Amino acid sequence: MKAAPIFETSDHRWWIIYDQEERRVIDSNVYVMESRGEAIILDPGGFEIFPQVFSAVAEIVQPSRIKAAFVSHQDPDIASSLPLWNACNPKMQWYMPKLWEGFIRHYGALEAELHGIVDGGGELLLGGRRLEFLPAHYLHSSANFHVYDAEARVLFSGDVGAALLPAGHGAWVDRRGANDNSGEKAFSDHIANGAQYFHQRWMPSEKAKTDWIRRVRKLSINFLCPQHGAIYSGSHVTRFLDWFSALPVGSAIVEN
Amino acid sequence: MDPQRITQLIENTHEIQGRVRRSLREIDRRALNAMVLVKRHGNVLAGYGVIASAFREQAAKLQVAAETLQHGVEPLIQSSMRLLQIQNYSHSIQTMLRSIGEGISLGDLPETERRWEADIAKEQIMIGEIIADLLRNLERFQEGIAEQEYVVTNGRIEAALVESSGVPLSRVSREMGRAVAEVRKAIAEWKQQLEEFTHESSTDL
Repeated sequence: MKAAPIFETSDHRWWIIYDQEERRVIDSNVYVMESRGEAIILDPGGFEIFPQVFSAVAEIVQPSRIKAAFVSHQDPDIASSLPLWNACNPKMQWYMPKLWEGFIRHYGALEAELHGIVDGGGELLLGGRRLEFLPAHYLHSSANFHVYDAEARVLFSGDVGAALLPAGHGAWVDRRGANDNSGEKAFSDHIANGAQYFHQRWMPSEKAKTDWIRRVRKLSINFLCPQHGAIYSGSHVTRFLDWFSALPVGSAIVEN
Repeated sequence: MDPQRITQLIENTHEIQGRVRRSLREIDRRALNAMVLVKRHGNVLAGYGVIASAFREQAAKLQVAAETLQHGVEPLIQSSMRLLQIQNYSHSIQTMLRSIGEGISLGDLPETERRWEADIAKEQIMIGEIIADLLRNLERFQEGIAEQEYVVTNGRIEAALVESSGVPLSRVSREMGRAVAEVRKAIAEWKQQLEEFTHESSTDL
């Protein structure tokens, strides 16, 4: 897997780890935020891709600096690497939906320090920077959170914005023309090539979708970072919100 | 293999690689300064010009060698983490085998356990080979540093010979020497840590 910077100042950084080599399991992105020497890993990934993820993370940040992990929901591609991370760094603190704590413990490492996030959300101060845990319930999991860094204007959006892309994909939705009309085609191609089916099939609730879009539109976002696929930057963020807003979701029910 | 020991090795590697990178940058800067001085003073310092140019050439070679070292670390991390993965599977099966009472059919479980054990042994051999490779590359790097130190020594001699020119070449040579010594020290520490890691893990490897 490769690591690419998303946002960078002298003491505040975001990275994406992307394009995994193992293709028998769903391709996932992992994110790392570092502030003043303390780091958090977001949706640290599945058991099977752990060696690749750890190796790519170790390239950008010393493992002892990883103080915390954020788990958006209970799925194995998000959190089944927990016992391996815990074996390497037992001091890591794990933040996850409270509803899923007992389920996530099934992955192993009963002694790991888990912190349940209540349904209303929460926040974490790391290296002096505030990260907000925003509720994103039913998008797609029944207890689900996203992470917002207001200073970096990064929204880690879990499965929202996800796309199933082929091996060798880039970290970004094509940024050429992202801020003018010519970006429209790049965006449409991305949606058609892997995002549309994902959202129609995996997102179950119109009501949850509409509520999430209403709240997210109030935030200032430069980078919308999904756990699968590629990052939306600049005006692609608004393009995505507009597109998602118009998309009927829960397609399996409709089709049946 | 203790995962925290490998994590510690990675930590130390990070720190040492940072020092090597900084020192190599310093070496390059010193070499460039020396070449500028030589250019400014024309034929008087022609001898030192040869030294400065050799110094810079050697510094570029060290940069390449440092990148080779850097690339050698990634397979070590990946292989160690794969080992951790397999050990995790194997441990689960061992726990199951212990908890199942006698006389109960275990199906293919013992065979699966043997397979995991074989995979563990294979991965351990691979880690041993990766470390051996890294150590060989470190030795090659040390040879490069020795050559660089030889250039520095020649620079000092040349600087002494043209001292009357008033150009502060002795100071330049001293600074070059210090930067090279820092790289030598960092590489020796790294090598020692890898050797200790191999030694401590020898029961596993």
